Amino acid sequence: MPMVSRWMYISLVILYSFLLGPFIIIFMASFGANATMAFPPQGFTLDWFANVFETSQFIDSFWISLHLALLSTIVSLVMGMPVAYALTRFQFAASGLVETIFSAPILVPGLVIGFAMLNFFVLLGDMRVMTGLFIGHTAILFPYSVRVISASLRNLDPYVEDAAVSLGANRLRGFLLVVLPNMQAGIAAAFVLGFITSFNNVPVSLFLSGPGVTTLPVSMLSYLEYYFDPTIAALSTLLVIFTVVLVQTAERVLGLSQFV
Amino acid sequence: MIRRPNQTRTIILLVCPALIFVLVFFVLPLIFLLSQSVLPEDGGFTLSGYLEFFQSRVSWIVYLRTLKLGLIVTGICVVMAYPAAFVLARMPPRRRSFLVSLVILPLMTNAVARTFAWLIILGRRGMINQTLLSLELVENPVRFIFTETAIVLGLTQLFLPLMVLPLVSAMENIPDDVLEAARSLGANRLTTFLRIVVPLSSDGLVLGATLVFTGSVTAFVTPAILGGSRLLLMSTLLRQKAVILFDQQAAAVVAVVMILTTLAVNLLLRVGRVQQG
Repeated sequence: MPMVSRWMYISLVILYSFLLGPFIIIFMASFGANATMAFPPQGFTLDWFANVFETSQFIDSFWISLHLALLSTIVSLVMGMPVAYALTRFQFAASGLVETIFSAPILVPGLVIGFAMLNFFVLLGDMRVMTGLFIGHTAILFPYSVRVISASLRNLDPYVEDAAVSLGANRLRGFLLVVLPNMQAGIAAAFVLGFITSFNNVPVSLFLSGPGVTTLPVSMLSYLEYYFDPTIAALSTLLVIFTVVLVQTAERVLGLSQFV
Repeated sequence: MIRRPNQTRTIILLVCPALIFVLVFFVLPLIFLLSQSVLPEDGGFTLSGYLEFFQSRVSWIVYLRTLKLGLIVTGICVVMAYPAAFVLARMPPRRRSFLVSLVILPLMTNAVARTFAWLIILGRRGMINQTLLSLELVENPVRFIFTETAIVLGLTQLFLPLMVLPLVSAMENIPDDVLEAARSLGANRLTTFLRIVVPLSSDGLVLGATLVFTGSVTAFVTPAILGGSRLLLMSTLLRQKAVILFDQQAAAVVAVVMILTTLAVNLLLRVGRVQQG
């Protein structure tokens, strides 16, 4: 390999130890027997993992996060797909504006979005906490679903679809029978990306969470305000395993990295 | 592309559901936020909220600290990511995609879990303090948490992938031939890197720097855990004004300043990129 010198390999080692080292430390801490988080951990126990499953706050918020992530990802995909289709298949005057509007949620800080939405929802009157969270998460997922689906549509030759239409299928049939099956990978990638973005989100959920209805990352954050024990480490370890399985599967099957 | 007379209707039908959603639930709340910052509940239009913000020493300190830490984090990310991204981009595709997926991994885990590790490393009885104590370099544990260093470390780990990924994809497009040509014409490794690789990957650099900087100046979890109320950044200040002080107007002002800051950075770098191109 030309051009790559030894010190550059060292930079790779530094990069990875910085990125992954903290995870190794969390992993070790989650099995340590002492409750005060001293390092290095003494002994070995699975108590902290048991504690995760006994803490109802975590279990409840895990289900809320899971529902929320599934629901908002699906809705943002179903609504975002037609937008991506319009942007890639038609030329129209307002397309630049539409594109900007749908990428805006990524440019505005999440905490600001959550704060603005909370104030707005209060203005609207009684709204269920879950509804507010759902609206917030769906809005922040649009940029991902529109962008990833657009990319996948651009890779698909429009003539394939035109051929279907000229052979007598109407546009909708052409889309459902020809376009949709051809962008499975893009849809799956957008789904995984959206799911993870929603599942991990803190800033938007922070203001929108309410009494008894909290997402998992927000309840982890509030747990940290009161307790400083390895339960969070154990929970983090479980979440990392969950993510590794999800991401590695997605990467192997779909090549997720090209969309990030 | 097939043109049809009722194309406009089709486009409207396709775009409208999502557009209405975003306008009502995203744009409208932001407009309401803007109005909150200039219209207090008990009176007419006023800029007093902004005046208060920019006249207060505390807000200035918090704002400048936020920008300063953002710059430091971006700088560290550039230095750490550049050579590493170059190595990654020159690797055979299979090994590269495995290593790149390891870079993505931390990005896919929630920020609380990722920041928590720093409490174990930097805490009173954490890794560094235990080491320092056992080597008898210090007599009492050093306070690392609630310092700027802690926030910088946490943010760097959080956003480093956002610098590595755009750099790798920019550098993948540099053909080997170009580098070999430079070498055979007598440039040494460093010259080639600085005069060929850096200019050809500047797009990735600009994108990465925008993502890291805007991410750092708006991040909430890391400053909340590692800075607390003792070392506020804009995001934790916003939360404090809204939740603890119940001053919605002041909170709205902080929020608007945060939006303007991110927008300014994005515009600035976009203009820079257009001029370069």
